[in-house]
Amino acid sequence: MSLTRLAIKSLLQRPARTLLTIASVAASMAVLFSLLSFNSGYQEGLQNQMQQMGVHLMVVPIGCPYEAASLVLEGGDIENYLDEGIAGKIAGMEGVAIAAPSLMHAIVRPEDGRTDIYLGINEKQLELKNWWRLNNGEKPDGRLLAGDDSLLLGWDAALIEKREETGEKLWVPEIDAEFTVTGILEPTGTQDDGFFYVPLHTAQERFGLDGQITAVQVRLTDPSLAADVGDELEKMFPGAEIIRMEELLGSMSALMDSARALIFAIVAVVVAISAVGVLNTMLMSVFERTRELGVLRATGAGKLHIFSLVWTETLALTALGGLTGLALAAVAARGVEVVIKRFVPMAPQEAMTHFDPRSALICVLAILGVGLVAGIYPSLRAANIRTIEALRSE
Amino acid sequence: MKQNGQIVYAQNLAKSYAVGKREIEALRGIDFTISPGEFVVLLGPSGAGKTTTLNLVGGLDRPTSGALSVAGQMVAEGELHATERSLDALRREQVGFVFSEFHLLPTLTAVENVQVPLVWVDESGRDRAEALLCRVGLGHRLTHRPDELSGGEMQRVALARALINEPALLLADEPTANLDTSTRDEIFELLRELSNEGLAILFATHDHELAERGDTVLRLSDGVILDG
Repeated sequence: MSLTRLAIKSLLQRPARTLLTIASVAASMAVLFSLLSFNSGYQEGLQNQMQQMGVHLMVVPIGCPYEAASLVLEGGDIENYLDEGIAGKIAGMEGVAIAAPSLMHAIVRPEDGRTDIYLGINEKQLELKNWWRLNNGEKPDGRLLAGDDSLLLGWDAALIEKREETGEKLWVPEIDAEFTVTGILEPTGTQDDGFFYVPLHTAQERFGLDGQITAVQVRLTDPSLAADVGDELEKMFPGAEIIRMEELLGSMSALMDSARALIFAIVAVVVAISAVGVLNTMLMSVFERTRELGVLRATGAGKLHIFSLVWTETLALTALGGLTGLALAAVAARGVEVVIKRFVPMAPQEAMTHFDPRSALICVLAILGVGLVAGIYPSLRAANIRTIEALRSE
Repeated sequence: MKQNGQIVYAQNLAKSYAVGKREIEALRGIDFTISPGEFVVLLGPSGAGKTTTLNLVGGLDRPTSGALSVAGQMVAEGELHATERSLDALRREQVGFVFSEFHLLPTLTAVENVQVPLVWVDESGRDRAEALLCRVGLGHRLTHRPDELSGGEMQRVALARALINEPALLLADEPTANLDTSTRDEIFELLRELSNEGLAILFATHDHELAERGDTVLRLSDGVILDG
């Protein structure tokens, strides 16, 4: 029989208490692992989403872009627009690969509890988003926007409007227009899925905004040129706001950092409580088993043997709890993600919690650390009991 | 220190404890020896010093004065005392303990209980443990836990545990105190057999009838050996 087996058998002397301690360690481990993997998944997801946008710079009307977006969603009118002509000027700049103008307008439908976002685009937008695919697997091209009444539906928009086939009509009473569905996009996992795409000139005409646009999305030939091109754009168009997507990512990361600091403070408390729980369990066990430990000394166990036995018990307890917690977290990750997403700003739409080996390793090391530290004092107590007094104890 | 091949050599062995400001003399200078295969009975009432003597001989406690050697190893001589580590090794290799209350680990089976002393020497010894349990008449109870065994069976398991490391000396602290008469006799006969095979035994009891069956009887009273 090995020391480890003896340790595990000793833990079984109080099965209810052992299980409760394992459960408490498992709970803190599950929280720790979920938060760590969510954190790494969030960063990764955010960067992926940025990459998928394929946009390095955005030129928007001066003012707060977040406020403008909020205004659009509420159906309000944006006060500032850009002249459509700047898109051509930007396209001609050195280092610019694509400059795609767009006009965003919302139609609020309070009776349905929704807001439909119409986005006027041209073929440049299709070039920019070269990963878009239609639901028949084809790559979208300019022909989809050729007719004045052309309507390209995002995946979610098509679901909402219950349109499944090209050629189907969509009547929009608010602007007295009938569109013909020219294509339905495959889901992208981004906000693009919810948009109604119409030709830019149609959107300008229908929404009474001739020659005006709300944004120019810019892809550069080399992303490292973003700072230089951005500076030049600011000089060229003083009435426009230049958003560097890297900066946007930085803002989001800063927001996430605040949330993460709070999360880790909570985790630290949870882990500390778990360590105290393990310490308490092992101390009680040592007190209750004083005579048994005395008997073990009488059978030839040295102080180091007793120390190792109790320390192994503590490690076994925390390791079992840790593994249970990891398994729980892996199973319940999606559920935890849904809850966490409610509290985290600008969360990417794609799944963010996944089994991350690095986070798992950190958790395993953390829980082993808890076991090692929490086990020291009870192990020392056990090793230093006086054998003859232990044998006399009840 | 003279030993002459004896397993235990004790000379003027004394032990006193401080209880508050009072000093209690548990042993007041006793002399005795135990030879290989000798069955020595330590007879005396409660408080006479039987357990103290066993604890000293087993290296669980240190004498206040006197000389003591066990299995050729010096435990104490005057001011000199063996280190705790060497006393641990002495118990691991040369001494087996049996107690009146069995002290088996409740979650271990009979055979696992017998294997416990082997944990400290990194051995499994499963076959040896099974053979010993067969020897003490428990070949049919190998995988039973203590709560599934009778008092006599538990004491047999404890005895097998004490013998697993093939000790030279067995220290038995009233091992039949919690057993009925017939079981008591069975256990005693088993110990006699072991003694006849060369195991030195120091058997503490307050049972006069049992004491008469030992090779040597040390009558202990108030920390002093009255005769023998």
